[in-house]
Amino acid sequence: MKYFLLSMTILFLAATAAQAACYADYKAKQDDPLRLHYGVALIEGDCTVENAETELTERLAVDDWQMLNVLEVFDEDGLQEREDSAGEYYLRY
Amino acid sequence: MDCKKGKTVPANTTSAIESRQTGNRVVTAGIIAIVSILMIAAVLLFISLPDANAFNARVEQLFVENDTLTGNAEIKLLEILAQSGTAFSDTLSSYRFVIFVLLVFSTALLVAAIAFLVMLIAMNRRMGQIERKGIEVNSLLISRDQNTVYLNNFEFKLTEAAIETLSVLAEARMDDEVLSGSEIEGVISGRPSADCDEAAGATRIKRLRDSLGNQMMSELLVKNIARRGYMLAIDKDVIRMV
Repeated sequence: MKYFLLSMTILFLAATAAQAACYADYKAKQDDPLRLHYGVALIEGDCTVENAETELTERLAVDDWQMLNVLEVFDEDGLQEREDSAGEYYLRY
Repeated sequence: MDCKKGKTVPANTTSAIESRQTGNRVVTAGIIAIVSILMIAAVLLFISLPDANAFNARVEQLFVENDTLTGNAEIKLLEILAQSGTAFSDTLSSYRFVIFVLLVFSTALLVAAIAFLVMLIAMNRRMGQIERKGIEVNSLLISRDQNTVYLNNFEFKLTEAAIETLSVLAEARMDDEVLSGSEIEGVISGRPSADCDEAAGATRIKRLRDSLGNQMMSELLVKNIARRGYMLAIDKDVIRMV
């Protein structure tokens, strides 16, 4: 019983860790005329800046946006504080 | 006729065509120099003027480097900055065009200026030659011991009597005096002019005129080149047969 509980706890923890969504905030631009935006996006793969960069570059290119840089990656806790700044680009891409 | 004997006398004539050729060369070189200098200036101008995109790049750099510049209002502000920069770069390119037009103008003006300058120099030289060659006397030098008179740069040999007459006339001219025939005869012979014949002075004048006029005409028209022969001393381009 004791082992079972322990293993359940470990499983539960692992599950929450796996479920913890990964987000990244980034900066992008468009040329002629120069337009800039700051946005927040959900990252599907590894939760690293490098992976976020490759993923976002592809996604943004669809709408002719050019990715400039990814600031950092974070989970749900970081979403709230960035919502205002991202504005219309909050979780758009 | 032995042509190989001795050195040929260097021609003391300056052909108008010759100076025109050197002039043309100078003009061509000058024009090429001016055009190339201004071309280089134009190229440098176009290179050194800031790129139209410089402002945008600067704003983008600002945006990337500052992590705090994420607010909506700040981003809008940055975009406005970039737009005003682009507007300014449009102005710059119009300036560039104006400067280019001015460069073209200055090229044309400099080319015209150098052409006129060279023409002026050539004209001056020709004028000098014309003055020296013409009948107008701008120097008269009498050498009494050699019995020669230099009119402009031509040397004329005269008889002793003719030199005497010419000297008397020259002295009288310097004092702004007019001499009659008898006065001339009087001065030369040393007798009072009242005792002298008017006709004797006239004869002296006639001899002087004949001798000087003859030589002058020969120098100006029919040239005698020593040991070679005679030649008309005129440009061959001006001869025409009817």
